[in-house]
Amino acid sequence: MSEGLLNVPFSERAGAALGDRFLQEALTIATTKFIDLRKDSFAGFPEGDALRDQARSIKEATLQKLDVYLGQLADNVERLGGRVHWATTGEEARETILQLCRDRGVRMAVKSKSMATEEIELNEALEKAGVTPVETDLGEYIIQLAHEKPSHIIAPAIHKTKGQVADLISEVAGRRLAADPEVLTAAARVQLREKFLQAEMGITGANFAVAETGTVVLVTNEGNGRMVTSLPRIHVAVMGIEKVIPSMTDLVVFLAILARSATGQKLSSYTTLVRGPRQPGELEGPEEFHLILMDNGRSRQIAGTLREALYCLRCGACLNVCPVYRQIGGHAYGHTYPGPIGILLTAMLRGDESVKELAHASSLCGACKDVCPVRIDIPRMLIELRERLDRQKIAPWAERFAFGTLRRVLLSPAAFRLSSALGRVLQRPFLNNGRLTGLPLVLSRWTRTRDLPPVASRTFRERWKDLQ
Amino acid sequence: MATRAEFLERIRREARRTDGLFTAATATRPARPEEAAEAVRRQMAERWPEALDLFRREFDRVGGVFHRAADPAEVPSVVLEIAREEGATAVVAWDPPVLGLDLRPRLVAEGLAVAVAASDPADETARRRHREESARAQIGVTGADLVLAETGTLILLSGRGRPRSTSLLPDTHVAVFDRSRLVESLAQVGILLEALHVDPARSMSGAMINFITGPSRTADIELTLTRGVHGPKHVHAIFVAAP
Repeated sequence: MSEGLLNVPFSERAGAALGDRFLQEALTIATTKFIDLRKDSFAGFPEGDALRDQARSIKEATLQKLDVYLGQLADNVERLGGRVHWATTGEEARETILQLCRDRGVRMAVKSKSMATEEIELNEALEKAGVTPVETDLGEYIIQLAHEKPSHIIAPAIHKTKGQVADLISEVAGRRLAADPEVLTAAARVQLREKFLQAEMGITGANFAVAETGTVVLVTNEGNGRMVTSLPRIHVAVMGIEKVIPSMTDLVVFLAILARSATGQKLSSYTTLVRGPRQPGELEGPEEFHLILMDNGRSRQIAGTLREALYCLRCGACLNVCPVYRQIGGHAYGHTYPGPIGILLTAMLRGDESVKELAHASSLCGACKDVCPVRIDIPRMLIELRERLDRQKIAPWAERFAFGTLRRVLLSPAAFRLSSALGRVLQRPFLNNGRLTGLPLVLSRWTRTRDLPPVASRTFRERWKDLQ
Repeated sequence: MATRAEFLERIRREARRTDGLFTAATATRPARPEEAAEAVRRQMAERWPEALDLFRREFDRVGGVFHRAADPAEVPSVVLEIAREEGATAVVAWDPPVLGLDLRPRLVAEGLAVAVAASDPADETARRRHREESARAQIGVTGADLVLAETGTLILLSGRGRPRSTSLLPDTHVAVFDRSRLVESLAQVGILLEALHVDPARSMSGAMINFITGPSRTADIELTLTRGVHGPKHVHAIFVAAP
C-alpha cells in the first residue's frame, strides 16, 4: 500500500502536504465543518456525557472478558448457519477470503467501507488473485479509481476536488460529466448499481458485533452496506476482535453517540443488523455468511500500554480536532489509520519501530481526548510510546541525546542557572524584533517555519530574589 | 490458521497479565425482556400522540416527507399521489397480508405496474423475477415495525413477505405505519430488541433489521450533501390514523 510513501521520511511527507494549497483548504473546510456538526449535535443532547462514560465502561468491561464474548459470538453465528474464521494475522484473514473466492469461483467482490480490510490491504491481494474488488462507498470508489488511499477515516476522499472526481467518473462513464456533485453521484449510482447486482461476494467490516445474538452491525449513510449484505450470494464480514459488545442494550448506548461524534447526525441514515445468512422465508440475502475474527496484533495490547486504543469506535472525531492532522491530512501519516488514534493503532499493528517519527506528530494538546466518544486517553499513551521508543533506543540518537541533556539540566538547579545564563549570551545574534529566528544547525529546522520566544533577560528566579 | 481454542487461549493468557484495571460494567439489561417490552407498549399506548409529533419534526429534519391517511383504505390514494408526483410507473410492495393492505386494485387501475413479494422463497426463478421487479420499480412500499421518534427513524425487520430490498433499490421508499409502532427513545428500542431476541425463531422470519433515518446520503465530494447515492433519494412515511 503506502509502502512506497514510507520510503520518504515523515518530515518530507508532511512538508509536501503543507505545500499543497488545495489540500490545505480542503482540510480546513472539512475538519472545521465536522467539528461544528459534532459540537451542535452534542449541545442539544444533555445525556451525551453520561452515555460516553457508559460506553467507555462497556468497552472496558467487554475487554476484561473478551474471550468469553468472542466465544459466545462465534457460537451464535454458527448456530445461525454462519461460518467463523479465527485469523491471528492479517495474512491469515486475507488468505481466508482468497480461499473462499477460489472455492466458490468468485470473480467480483463488492465492498462497503471497512478499515479492517484496508488494514490488511485486501484489494491488492484480491486483484492479484484475479478477483475484481469494487469499493462502493462513494469516497472509497473515488480513491480506488484514482489508485490512492483514504485520507480520512470517515471521509476518504476529502483531498480530491470535484474537478478531479469528474475526470475519474467520466472515464468510467465514457462521456464527459459536469464537475457537479449531484451529477457525479448520480453517475456513480448507475455504475455501482450494476456491480451490486453482478458480484458474487459482498465484503464488509463491522462497526459492532453483538455476542448475545450473533449480530453484525454496520453503520452507513449511502446504503452500500445494505446492498452488499442483501444482494450477493456470499457475505464476508471482517472484524477486529475488539468490536464485540455483549448485548443489544449495549448496542443502543453506542448508537446514540457514534454518529453524533462522526458526522453530527443523531443516527446515520442506515444502521444494519445482520444475523447470519438468509433465513428460509426470505426472498433475498446471502446463502453463505462468513465472519472473520481478526487479531493482527490486538491481543498483545490487552496487557500492553496501548490497551485503551482497543476501545476505539473509528468515528474520526480525533482527526478533525488534531492540530497536526488539520495541517498535514491523512496521507502524510503513511499508514492505514491516520490522526492521533492512528499513531497508536499503527504502533499496535506494526510495532513501535513503525511510529518512531509519528510518535512526535502530536502537540499533546489533549483535544483528541476531549472529543473521543469513549474518552480514550490518547496523549497519555503517546507520551508512554515516546518514552518506550527512547528506552528501546528506537528513537534517533540526536533526539535521545537532546532529551537526555534536557533531563540532566532540569534536574540540577546549578546546571539550569548556568544554561539560562549561557542561553542569554548565545541567543544574541539570532534576536530579531524580540523573537528568535534563523537558528543554526539542527535548530534551524525549528525556526524555518516558526519563531521562538527568547530566554528572558532576567529569569523569574532572579526577579523573585529582588522582590524578597 | 489458529484453532478457536488456540486463538482464545492467547487472549486469556494476555488477560492474566493485566493488573490495576478499573471496575467497569456493561449496560444493565432488562431481567425479563418480554415484560419490559410490554411495559414500553403500555407506556406508548398513552404517549403515542407526543411521539408522533416528535417523529414528524425529526423525520422532516432528516429529509423525510410525512403523510396522514384516515384508514388503510386511503393508503393507495396517497401512494398514487406520490407516484404521480415522481412520474413513477412501477411499484414494488411487501406481501399484502404483511403490509396490511393491497395496493394492486387501485394502482393497477391507474395504469401502474405493481409487484408484490408473495413468491415462494424456495423457487429460484420466482426469486430472480422478484429481484428484477424490485430493481425496476421506482417506488417501494413497506411497513415499519418500529417508528423511533427521537431520531426520525423507521425500523424494518426482513423476513417472509418483507424483502430487504423493497426499501433499498427503488428511488423512493414509502413506509406505512400506525400508532402501535411508535416509540420515543433509543433506550426503548434497546428493550424491544432484547425482547425480539429472546426467541428469534418465533419473533423474526428474517436475518436483517434495518434502521432507516432519512434518504441515502453522502458528502464525499467536497462535502456537498447529496441524496440518493445507493439507496432511495426520497423517503415518505404514511401514518394511518385508524388502523
